[in-house]
Amino acid sequence: MIDDTALMAIAAARRLRDGEACFVGIGVPSLAALIARHTHAPGMSLIYESGAYGADPAVLPMSTGSPSVATGAACLGDCTLVFGELQAGRIDVGVLSAAQVDRRGNLNSTVIGNYRTPKVRMVGSGGAHDIASLVGRLVIVMPHDPRRFTERVDFVTAPGLGEDGRRPVGTRGAGPVDLLTPRAWFTFETGEMTLAGLQPGMGAVAAVEGFSWKVPHAEDVVELAPPTGEELAVLRRWHGKVETT
Amino acid sequence: MRSIVASTKLKSLEHCAAEVADGDTVFVGGFGHAVPFALGHQLIRAGRRDLTICRSGADILADQLIAAGCVARVVFGWIGNPDIGLSHAFRRAVADESIDWEEWTNWSMVLRLQAAALGVPFLPGRVLLAGDTPVQLPDLKTVTCPYTGETLAAVPALQPDVAIVHAQRADEEGNVQMWGVVGDTAVGALAARRIVVSVEEIVDGEVIRASPNLTIIPAHRVAAVAVVPWGAHPSYVQGYYTRDDDHFRRYGDVSRTAEGTLAHLDRWVRGVDRERYLSMIDTGTLVDEATR
Repeated sequence: MIDDTALMAIAAARRLRDGEACFVGIGVPSLAALIARHTHAPGMSLIYESGAYGADPAVLPMSTGSPSVATGAACLGDCTLVFGELQAGRIDVGVLSAAQVDRRGNLNSTVIGNYRTPKVRMVGSGGAHDIASLVGRLVIVMPHDPRRFTERVDFVTAPGLGEDGRRPVGTRGAGPVDLLTPRAWFTFETGEMTLAGLQPGMGAVAAVEGFSWKVPHAEDVVELAPPTGEELAVLRRWHGKVETT
Repeated sequence: MRSIVASTKLKSLEHCAAEVADGDTVFVGGFGHAVPFALGHQLIRAGRRDLTICRSGADILADQLIAAGCVARVVFGWIGNPDIGLSHAFRRAVADESIDWEEWTNWSMVLRLQAAALGVPFLPGRVLLAGDTPVQLPDLKTVTCPYTGETLAAVPALQPDVAIVHAQRADEEGNVQMWGVVGDTAVGALAARRIVVSVEEIVDGEVIRASPNLTIIPAHRVAAVAVVPWGAHPSYVQGYYTRDDDHFRRYGDVSRTAEGTLAHLDRWVRGVDRERYLSMIDTGTLVDEATR
C-alpha cells in the first residue's frame, strides 16, 4: 500500500522545480522537498527557519532546529539570514501545512473558535505567516479531512487570497498556487480553490468528500501519474512505512 | 600557557538562575538546539513567579515553566511540542484565563529582538500587514518609508530584562561560544539587559581566542556562567549529544493532563539535582548518536 503521506508528498514534490530556493516546514513539507531534491530537482536548496540554507537532512527532522537540519547543510546561518532572504524576495517557493485551509488558501494554525476564548488553542504562526506573506509562491499539503477544509478559516494565520480572490495588500508573491491532498490536486488560478487533478483511481466526488462548500472544477481535471519506482525508493529513505503494491 | 583571566564569571547554576527576578521579562535561548532546560528547571525549583517569557519558537521548556506557575505572560511566535502537538499547559492556561499572551510570528519576534539589540525603537518589516495576527496586536503600528513611500510594519523593539542561554563552551571570563543552530539565540541574548549562561564546559581563554568567530556573546555582556553538562537535555548540543526525541514524545503524552505534567515536573525537576537527573537519561546512546 502507498499511504496518504506518500501520495501527498510525491504529488507536492512534483510542483517544485530544479534550481529553486525552497522554504520548508516540518513534516510532509520537508518530505516533499526532500523527494524533489533527490529526484528531479538536485539543484534545489531546502531552507529552514532556524537558519539552514541548503539543508539535506538524513532523517526527517522533528524540529526546524533538529540535528539533521544542521548536519549536512550547505550553510548554517541564523534566523536573520534565512528570513532576510525571504523578506528580500529571493525565496522562490514555500511548502506548508496547517490545521485548516479555506477556499482562498488561507491557513490557520492558531485557534479553532474565538481568538481569546478558543475551542482549541493551537501552536500559532511560527514562520508560517512570514513565509505565506513573502515567498514567491506557496505549495500547501493537507490530509483529506473535511474538518480541515472550510469555506473560511477561523483565524488567518498565514494569508492566502482575500475575499476578492486577490492577494491582500501588504503581501508579496503569488500566494497559494497548489494544494495537494492524498485524493487530489487543487489550484488557485481563478482566485479560489479549484479541483485541477485527481490522485490515481480517485473520483471527483471523493476528492472533495465532506467539504462544506461546492468546489469548482478546472476545465480539464487531469489524473495525476502514479508514484514512480524512483519516487517511492527515495521517499522510503525518510518515510519508512511505505510499501509498494 | 594559560591565558590571563581578568575576572571570573563562573558561578553555580543556582546563582545564575538567581539573576532572574520575579516579574522579569526573560528571553529563553535555543532554537530547537541548546535550549536552556537546566537553567529553566532551576527557575522552577527556585519558585520564580510572574515572569514574561519571550521566544520565537517556544517548546516544552516554556510549557513546563507555565505548568509550574512561573509565567504570567508569554510573548511568542510559536508555542508547542515540535512535530508532536500542542503546548498543553499553555492551552489549559488560556482556557482558564490564568495567563496573558502576545502573539507574533517567528520573523517579527526576531525583528523585535534585533531592534533592541541594535538600540532602535523599531525595525520596519514586510510582515504583519495581512491576516488576523496583526488584528490581535492592537498596539502595532505601520510606518511610511520616507524614501519610497511604502507602508511597512513598525515592529517594536523587545528588550528582555534577562536572557537565559545554553551553549557549548565559555572561558572563565564569560566569552560564550556556540555553533550549530544558533537561530535567534545570539540576537535575543544581545537584546537583553543581563545575560546568564550555562555551558557544557569551560575552556581556556586561548581556545576561545583561537576561534573567536564562534563567540556569540562577548564576556563584557555576560553576568554569570555555570558549567552544566547536559544542560540542554532533552534538546541537544551540536558536537556533544543528540536530541532526545523520545523524551519529547513522552512529554507529549503526559502533558495532556495537568496531573501528568505535574508528575513529570516532580520526577524530572522538583527536588531533582543534576546528578539524579543525569542518572535518569541514557547519556551513552545520545552521545553515540551525536558522534556517529
